[in-house]
Formats: sequence, C-alpha cells, structure tokens
Amino acid sequence: MNHLLRELGNWIDVRVGYSETLLPMLRHPIPRAADGPMGWWYVFGSASLTFLLIQILTGIGLSLVYVPAANEAYESLVYLDYEHPFGWFLRALHYYAGSGMVVMLLAHMTQVFLHGAYKYPRELTWMVGVVLLLCTLGMFFSGQILRWDPDAYWGLAVAGSMAGRVPVIGPWVVHALLGSEIIGAAALSRFFALHVFVIPGALLTFLVLHLWLVLRCGISAPPAADRPVDPATYEAEYHEELRQGVPFLGDAMLRDLFFSAAAVIVVVAIAAVVGPKGPTGPPDPTLGGANPRPEWPFLWLFALLALSPPAAETFIMLVFPVVVIGILFLVPVVSNRGHRAPSRRPVAVLAVIVIYTTLGALTYLGVTAPWSPEMRAWTSAAIPTDVVERSSPLELQGSLVFQYKNCRNCHALEGVGGRRGPDLTTVGTRLTRDQLIDQVSNGTPGGGNMPAYGKQMSPAEMTVLADFLVSLRPSGQPPAKVWSSSPTTRP
Amino acid sequence: MASRHTLNGFVLALGALLAVGCDWPGKPDPGTRQRAAEELTSFVPLYRQHCVGCHGADGQQGPAPPLNDPLFLAIVPDAELERVIRRGRRGTPMPAFGIEAGGELSDAQVTALAQGLKSHWKSDEKLDEPLPSYLPADGDDSTRQPGDRERGATLFAVACAGCHGENGRGGEGSDANNAIHEPAFLALISNQALRRIIITGRSDLGMPSFAGKDGRPDDFSTLTSPQIDDLVALLAHWRDEQGQLANPHTSNVP
Ligand code: HEC
Ligand code: HEC
Ligand code: HEC
Repeated sequence: MNHLLRELGNWIDVRVGYSETLLPMLRHPIPRAADGPMGWWYVFGSASLTFLLIQILTGIGLSLVYVPAANEAYESLVYLDYEHPFGWFLRALHYYAGSGMVVMLLAHMTQVFLHGAYKYPRELTWMVGVVLLLCTLGMFFSGQILRWDPDAYWGLAVAGSMAGRVPVIGPWVVHALLGSEIIGAAALSRFFALHVFVIPGALLTFLVLHLWLVLRCGISAPPAADRPVDPATYEAEYHEELRQGVPFLGDAMLRDLFFSAAAVIVVVAIAAVVGPKGPTGPPDPTLGGANPRPEWPFLWLFALLALSPPAAETFIMLVFPVVVIGILFLVPVVSNRGHRAPSRRPVAVLAVIVIYTTLGALTYLGVTAPWSPEMRAWTSAAIPTDVVERSSPLELQGSLVFQYKNCRNCHALEGVGGRRGPDLTTVGTRLTRDQLIDQVSNGTPGGGNMPAYGKQMSPAEMTVLADFLVSLRPSGQPPAKVWSSSPTTRP
Repeated sequence: MASRHTLNGFVLALGALLAVGCDWPGKPDPGTRQRAAEELTSFVPLYRQHCVGCHGADGQQGPAPPLNDPLFLAIVPDAELERVIRRGRRGTPMPAFGIEAGGELSDAQVTALAQGLKSHWKSDEKLDEPLPSYLPADGDDSTRQPGDRERGATLFAVACAGCHGENGRGGEGSDANNAIHEPAFLALISNQALRRIIITGRSDLGMPSFAGKDGRPDDFSTLTSPQIDDLVALLAHWRDEQGQLANPHTSNVP
C-alpha cells in the first residue's frame, strides 16, 4: 500500500515536479532567531490564512442555499437559521471567522509594523498586504449587505452617500454600485457579485503575490537593536543569517498550526454559543424601530461621522479614508531603512498606541452613543407622569406636539427616548422661551443634526410646544433668563 | 507529552458538543421566528409600541385623552374607535395609523387595537345614569339643536369656572395654570375630544365627569347631551375669536 502510494507520488512528481518546487518552499530556511520564543510573533499571518480557508468553505456552503434576490434573500437566511440542519452554525461560523480574519490581519500588520519588517527589501510585501486588508474589509462590508435587513439598507445608504460625494464621477459610481439611483433589488445582485466573484478574485490574486513575495524576500529575523537596515549591506547580512537558519517545515510550521487551531477553536466556540447574527428583520425600508448599526470594523468611522460637525462630513466621508489608506500604503516608502527594533523607534510605537486608542474609543462611542434616532420613541415612549401631572392644558398640548413632531425620536425625557440630541428633561432651566423657539424653528444651522421646524409648524403648535419646553424644569426652579444658560449665573 | 492529552481532550469535548448539537446555545430559538414572520395582532404589544407615547403607559396619565376610561369605552361606538385609529383626527396630534392613510398598521392590527381597548379596559359594571351620546347632535336627530354658546357660557360659570377660572382664563391658587380659554390649546383639539372630555372628565388628572360633583357648586346638576353641545359651542367660539392667533407668544409664560 505504502509502496503503491509512493509510486503514484513519483509518477505525479515526474510530471508536475513538486519535489523541486513545493518542497523547497516549505523547507525554505528561516533565521534561527525567528525559531525561538520570538517565533510566536510570526503566527498571525498564517492564522489569517486559516480563517480565509474557513471563509471559503463556509461561503460555498452558504451559497448553496442563499438566494441573492431581494424578495427571497431574507427568507433563505431564515430557512438556514431555523430549518436547514446546522445552517445556523454555518452562518455563525462564517460571520465569526470573518471577524477573526480581520482581527488576525490587524495583529499581523501591527506586528510587522512594530518589528519594522516592512523595511527593505519587503516594502512591496507590505503594500500588497494593505491591499489585502482593503479586500477583507470589502468582503466584510459586502457580506453585511447580503443579509438584506435594515442594517444592510443602512450600510447601502451610507455607502451611496459616500460614493455620491466623489466629484464628477460620483453619480456614476453610485449607479455602478447600486445598479440604480435608489437602493433596491439591483443593489443586492451587485453586492452578491462583488462578494463572491470580484473581491475574492482580487483577494486571492493579491494573496498569491503576497505569499510569493514572502518566500522571495524571506522571513525577517526578529529585530535587533544594534542592527539597523541598510539596503546596501542587508542582502549579504540576511544571507549570512540564513546560513545558520532552520527550515520552516518543522517547529515554525507546528507553531503556526498550533496557533491557527487554537484560534479556530475559539471562533467555533463563539459561533456555537452566540449563534448567527441577524437578519434583524424583514427587508422593509419603511420599517422603523430597528436601530441599524454598521458592522464592527466600520463602527469607528461611523461614530466619527456622527460626532463631527456637519460641515466636516464630506471631508470625513471622502478625504479621510483616502488619506488613511494612503498613509498606510506609503509607510515603507517613508522609512525603508534604519532601525527596526521598537526600542529604537519610539515614534512608531507611540503611533500604534495612539491609533489603537483612538480606534478603540471611537468604536466604543459607536457602540454606546445611540447616534441614530430611535424611530419609534414618539409613539412608544410615554411622557413621564410627573410631567403630565403638573402640566397645564396648554403644556399637555405641547407635549403632544413634541411627540407628534417626532422630537422624542432624538430627545429623551428623563432618560427615555432617542439620544441623538440632548435629554430635554431640564431644558427650561437652560434656554429661554425665545431661544427655544429659535432652536426649534431653525434647527442646527446649516442643516445638520436637528432639522428646522419653522416651516412645518403652525403658530399654535409652536406656542404650545414652547410652553411645554419652558415648563421642563425641576419643581421650584425658575425658567431660564436671557443668557443664563452658563452655570455661573444660574440661581 | 502533556499537550497530546490536552489535544485529545479538545477533540473529545468537541465531539461531545457535536453530539448534543441540538442544544447549542447559539442555535436560534424557533420561538423567535414566529414573531419575525407573523404579523403582530395582539393588543398589549401593539398598544405599547404605538400608543403609549401619547395616551400613557396604562391608557392613563398621558397628555392625550385617556383610553383606559370605562365611561369613554361605554359610550364610544366601535366603528368610531376604529375610524379614529385608522384615519387619525385631522388638525390634532392624533396620527392616522392605517396603512391606507399613510400609517403602519394593517386592518387586522387596527381592529385588534380597537377591540383590545374594550376587552382590556371596559368595566363590566353597569353605569346606571342615562349616558350622553359620544357623538354630537347631527342632522338626522331632529329633536336636538346645535349647541348655543350663550347657554354654554351660563353653564360654564356653574360647571367649570370653579376650576378653570372665570371665562376659562385660569383659576386661583393651585388652579392658576388651568386656563383653557387659550386659542393655541383649542386650535389643536377637536370638538369631538372637547365633548368627550366634558363627558368623561379626566379621572387621572382630577377633572370630574359630566355627573361628578367634586369641586362644583351645590346647584350643579348632571349635564345633559344638549348642554354638552352648548359647552362645546362656547369653547369652539373661544377658539375662533382671536382669528389667526394674533400674537402667539402672549400665552401663559409661567
Ligand atoms: C434628528 C434628530 C432631532 C430631532 C428630530 C429634533 N432634534 Fe432637537 N436637537 C438635536 C440635536 C443633535 C441637538 C443638539 C444641538 C444641535 O446640534 O443643534 C438638538 C438640540 C435641541 C435643543 C437645544 C437643547 C439644549 O440643551 O441646548 C432643543 C430645545 C431641541 N433640540 C428641541 C427639539 C424639538 C422641540 C424638536 C421637535 C420639534 C426637536 N428638537 C427635534 C436633534 C434633533
Ligand atoms: C402623537 C400622539 C398620539 C399617539 C401616538 C396616539 N394618539 Fe390617539 N389621540 C391623540 C390625541 C391628541 C387625541 C385627541 C384628538 C382630538 O383632539 O380629537 C387622540 C384621540 C384618540 C382617540 C379618540 C379619543 C376620544 O376621546 O375621542 C382614540 C380612540 C385614540 N386616540 C386611540 C389611539 C390609539 C389606539 C393609538 C395607538 C395606535 C393612539 N391613539 C396613538 C394623540 C395620539
Ligand atoms: C374639579 C375641577 C374641574 C372642573 C369643575 C372642571 N375641570 Fe376641566 N380640568 C380639570 C383638571 C384638573 C384638568 C387637567 C388639567 C391639567 O392637568 O392640565 C382639566 C382639564 C380640562 C381640559 C383639557 C383636557 C386635556 O386633555 O387637555 C378641558 C378641555 C377641560 N378641562 C374642560 C372643562 C370644562 C368644559 C368643564 C366644565 C364642564 C371643566 N373642565 C370642569 C379640572 C376641572
């Protein structure tokens, strides 16, 4: 039996020649220093690759059932969730392995950056890596659209308005992306094509290039503080290092395998315990109530959008991502020589800390700050009973207008309601009647966060609404006087 | 080697998990599916989602007329209940909820709400007095005449002024901000709602019903349907007397 297999192997090898190509690749030497405990720094790249394999397998599984048609996508996901044996698990695994892939990619990039491994001669490897990151994020985004639930609509709306701002070709890009000027069935087909053909195609192509570059340039040794990179001498030094190197096929590969297996087990466990994500609701654009969120890798960008003044929106939507990607891309061009050890590159270390802290804080805000209005608050959040009890008939009428005009969707009373704007429980102590009327009539100047209601309200509505807002004070507190909104002049 | 044992342990655990696969915590609960696929037609969640904001958590103590009011539910015709929910009341903050009127609720949902109001909150107690009709006098009832505001003013002085002040301009002391002679207030409430408030009062806020004697002088006698027409005529006149709200900002700044 063994003999037969070897015969078969030989037969193929003579024709394919893998013992001359593949085996040397696997056996390629790596620097000895990368084989010790330092070797654990090198496992993230292969873990990303493992997750990619899982994505391909689960993706094929999902595509056997999923129907990329607007009227059936939702139903087919529900079918997977509830009826197909382990369909729910397939969906969950596809989601969490995708998330794991993004995490591993970020870890991999961070390691490469901190160790200066992108310096000569591996600049191109890094740049291709940045493209791979973009492809992966593109997969994440287009995958979320395929869920075709309110989150998907939201993502499309933002993507559309982002693309629409591109000068000159904007409308064309929107049309190419959505298949029409509005979000509909055509968009789903486009994003399906992107998710299963276009982006994976690009991803795999660049991945082959990336791996080829890794093999060709070799794996960098862990940085040593006394050995800066000098392109003139690096080649010879590295060669010298490899002479005492060890083959990849061995402990290094085992380490990769072990870490990948551990990562997969974690992801499988999460998928089994947490279950599939969404679809959050039938794909009905008129459906309020949902509180759509972008997927987590994009939360920071959308939090940034929500927190920024409207004037900066175009910049953040359009210029900022390009700048960020550009900077990432150009990292090895800016510094491709010199020290690699983190101890000699305080600025690089500081940059990593600052970037991750900022991303973390923004993501946290994206999760907690409910910057999208709460669409149902106007009919479902009661006016607090203590407010009702102390109100005059006029003020009661004002509170009705407050609900009827959807103010409650953005403004909470006693903590209940939307949180897009400030809680108005005590606004009567902060703003005078005239200031209140001005705020309601004109909204946020420039038309950003709060709409202007001046033209949408009758004088009677404005009167009772102002009465109501003025009355929003803790009992015994006088109404605000002109400019008493600063704390020092408050009684 | 210890790690081999650990690995075996992992494999075993994974196998065990697979074996009891049906009970994985991540598996979607079929119970949640019904809710997504089927339309909601039960009263409590519908009311909570769509009505609490104005009519109050228990149908009381909201700014809009209380729906959890046995007297109201005893006199309001079913058809009118459905009509109001479906079509809203134009010019007032009561929105139209029917899909055909631009709202979100299907016919079945509107019916579920209308019937639910009565089955949940209507009391079985027999209300013995002759109850005024919910709807005002109309053409085919030849015995009744349209309301008269002069008579209404006389009635107001007896039945209402004690709390709402002379001419409805606000009472004294704790009633100081109880004015209803306010064009902006009246502009946003329908005659129908005024009629209903006079009949049922607001038990949740301390306003007596058409028969209630609290806070009213001794010579007050239960209001009749035509008398209520007269009172509504008076309030409607107050609504119109200032025309287009000449100066909207003169109303009661507390
Ligand atoms: C789409 C969300 C949104 C809606 C709807 C909305 N607002 Fe606002 N509102 C805001 C935001 C955001 C602010 C914060 C200040 C700003 O950006 O102008 C604000 C500020 C205010 C303020 C000033 C609060 C302060 O403490 O300075 C008042 C008063 C106010 N809104 C009243 C209203 C009323 C009344 C309505 C309904 C007629 C309403 N808002 C509807 C978003 C909204
Ligand atoms: C935005 C505030 C608002 C919401 C939400 C609202 N209502 Fe109303 N509703 C009102 C107001 C204000 C009136 C009185 C209108 C008038 O002046 O005739 C009213 C009147 C009514 C009446 C007639 C009561 C009477 O006294 O004649 C019924 C019945 C009613 N609402 C049912 C509902 C139901 C059921 C819901 C939920 C599906 C609902 N409303 C949601 C504001 C609201
Ligand atoms: C015992 C005192 C009392 C008497 C008598 C009384 N009311 Fe009221 N009325 C109240 C109170 C209390 C409220 C609730 C006001 C508030 O909390 O804003 C009220 C509210 C109202 C409202 C506004 C209801 C709403 O939902 O906005 C109207 C209209 C009204 N009364 C009309 C009348 C009329 C007409 C009469 C005479 C038939 C009358 N009231 C008699 C105490 C009284």
